[in-house]
Amino acid sequence: MTTHELANGLDATQVKACCATGYSSDLVSLLLGSSYHPGGTTLTRRLLDAIGLQTGERLVDVACGVGTTSLLAAQDYGALVDGVDLSEANVKLATGAAVATDLADRATFHHGDAEALPLSDGGWDAIICECALCTFPDKPIAAREMARVLRPGGRLGISDITAHRDRLPAELTGIAAWVACIADARPAEEYRDIITAAGLRVTTIEHHTPALERMITQIAARLDLLKMIARPRLEALGVDFDRTGPVLETARRAARGGMLDYVLITAEKPCD
Amino acid sequence: MTTRDRDEVFLELTRSICPVCKQTIDAEVNARDDQVFLRKRCPEHGEFEARVYGDADMYVAAQRFNKPGTRPLQTQTEVKDGCPSDCGLCPEHKQHACLGIIEVNTGCNLDCPICFADSGSLREKGPDGYSITLEQCATMLDVFVAAEGEPEVVMFSGGEPTIHKDILAMVDLAQERPINAVNLNTNGLRLASDKTFVTELGRRNRPGRPVNVYLQFDGLEKETHLAIRGRDMREIKQRALDNCAEVGLTVTLVAAIEKDINEHEIGAVIRHGLAHPAARSVVFQPVTHSGRHVEFDPLTRLTNSDVLHAIGKQVPEWLTVDDFFPVPCCAPTCRSVTYLLTQGSPGDPDFGLVPIPRLLQVEDYLDYVANRVVPDYEIREALEKLWSASAFIGTDTSDDRLTKIVDALDCADACGVNLPVALATITENTFMIVVQDFLDPYTLNVRQLMKCCVEEITPDGRLVPFCAYNSVGYREQVRAQMSGVEVADVVPNAIQLQPLLVETRYGSKQVPR
Repeated sequence: MTTHELANGLDATQVKACCATGYSSDLVSLLLGSSYHPGGTTLTRRLLDAIGLQTGERLVDVACGVGTTSLLAAQDYGALVDGVDLSEANVKLATGAAVATDLADRATFHHGDAEALPLSDGGWDAIICECALCTFPDKPIAAREMARVLRPGGRLGISDITAHRDRLPAELTGIAAWVACIADARPAEEYRDIITAAGLRVTTIEHHTPALERMITQIAARLDLLKMIARPRLEALGVDFDRTGPVLETARRAARGGMLDYVLITAEKPCD
Repeated sequence: MTTRDRDEVFLELTRSICPVCKQTIDAEVNARDDQVFLRKRCPEHGEFEARVYGDADMYVAAQRFNKPGTRPLQTQTEVKDGCPSDCGLCPEHKQHACLGIIEVNTGCNLDCPICFADSGSLREKGPDGYSITLEQCATMLDVFVAAEGEPEVVMFSGGEPTIHKDILAMVDLAQERPINAVNLNTNGLRLASDKTFVTELGRRNRPGRPVNVYLQFDGLEKETHLAIRGRDMREIKQRALDNCAEVGLTVTLVAAIEKDINEHEIGAVIRHGLAHPAARSVVFQPVTHSGRHVEFDPLTRLTNSDVLHAIGKQVPEWLTVDDFFPVPCCAPTCRSVTYLLTQGSPGDPDFGLVPIPRLLQVEDYLDYVANRVVPDYEIREALEKLWSASAFIGTDTSDDRLTKIVDALDCADACGVNLPVALATITENTFMIVVQDFLDPYTLNVRQLMKCCVEEITPDGRLVPFCAYNSVGYREQVRAQMSGVEVADVVPNAIQLQPLLVETRYGSKQVPR
């Protein structure tokens, strides 16, 4: 194998190119769905509990997708939610869902970039960001934006994929590049440093490895399905079905070994 | 003296019946040694205990999958003595009927050692057997329609329904009414030998009005057949399956699983079903110790979780325990289901199999305790219809729902692959696996019974929950009404009851007065 040919059959330059063209997010969408995050609503509740979200508090949901979590926070926690997403289509769908569930007075959705939140300074009690920080090109700026919008004493809750890319087994270089392509995942300590540098104080870091293992199971199942119904198309895109199985098995082992993980991080903005 | 802790976790207080005298008594459910047991005491007959779930963790986790019930359009009885004495359905019942069963006769062309209905050749000729008339069948179907509006499924059962002279006319009666699907529950003898009959059934299986065969199929080994059916039926089952395939009838393989008899054949039945073109689903039922059965120990009997773990052990290349989810329309520990998308036949080099629950987070939709808000209500509705006692593969409803589930994959047109469109072409290769433990006089739990959604339609126009019908004495009551002969209460053939038991002329057990 040359250094440019990766274990999943994708060429390294192709991988970079695909990030640029959006092919990667297409493949991610095929394998995970466009609004997926590991752990589902169970882990979402865990996150909202971890930041101690209270009735009547103002919450920002950064990269809110189609608004599932925002509406859950509005209905079950009684929060007043502002969801922000980069996709106008998502904002429309989320707004429609809020109307349909009678929550439009408690959940509002805005089109905007996480690196330039369309929200004023210091006006929110809490912020959550699920499985999205890893996808932001400039993480320090995104973290500073979240810190800016929080009031003093406000809380931040993040759930995200972590990866020790330099410690991954060689055969996972491919999938690591692939993960890096869809999600510029970092080790938990790096997220902690980014959040700290933004002026927030990290309070907890929890590991939710089973959620990641479930995600790998889902990717494996969807690859099996695509192999059944769209094999030529996927092969033309560079997916080598003979190698996806072993690569995913290695990914499972990496998850068990702590080199890949899913973490929940909470932080707060100091009062002074 | 030091105090000592109990060796069990007290989970619930409920009601049950005495398996001997059928009186309603209190019962408690406890977790002990990672398993779940139901214990009760009859003032006259003493204490009874039965294993109701082999995996305590799974039992507790399943409780979240509990959908608020739907009221039927009509109930048939009043509340007088309380559950389970007022069936039914009474106004206190928590769920409508997903599936209605009509037993058309008590006679059978087999005399199986295991038969919860205590049917057989003696019933066919004997004084306390009966067959319903076409008029009675019409009335029973009308009761079902009045209660449900547009019922999903009616099942014809018995006895052996295919030996009733009017069975095809009864199928016609059902199809003339707004009932979506007909299921025919059979041992397969007539399907194997009477091709004209199979052709007639196939003719009735048409778009919008499917007919599905619910074929007793306990395993592939001769010993299994001899122990459960008293006869080697292997060739007959194969011919029945082949004949159904020839006329395009879909078949559900239904396996009664008894401890130490055929629990090792669970994987083989799945494999056989996946390989046969007529088979579209498999149902595993731990043997219900109502009616007639071999001697058993209630403390070690098989439960749903045992079957689920056996599946994970016997076909690990395809399935794990986590691929199954409880059915939320009934009580969640009664029935667990999974669906598989398949391509080709096991053994083919490019055979493909994907359990649907691995493709999406089923619990985000069917955990009703946590999720008042769900990501997409249409997907929840579709999952509810699939994870239901009325789900039968091959009905238009199930195909529509499967297509809808694909929306949950949430990735239309990514990478130039239109997944929903591509998947629509393989819904005909969807395979369903059901694990269903019915309640018997030992395990009966009124909390579960009150939400039962599988009902026996009686000739006198009631809908009696299946497990009450078999356990509480309703079957004996109806049999006496229909034949005019007094029918003794049947008692489970449990090891602990042996000193009390005498055999009835049908092979079941009773306690002499």
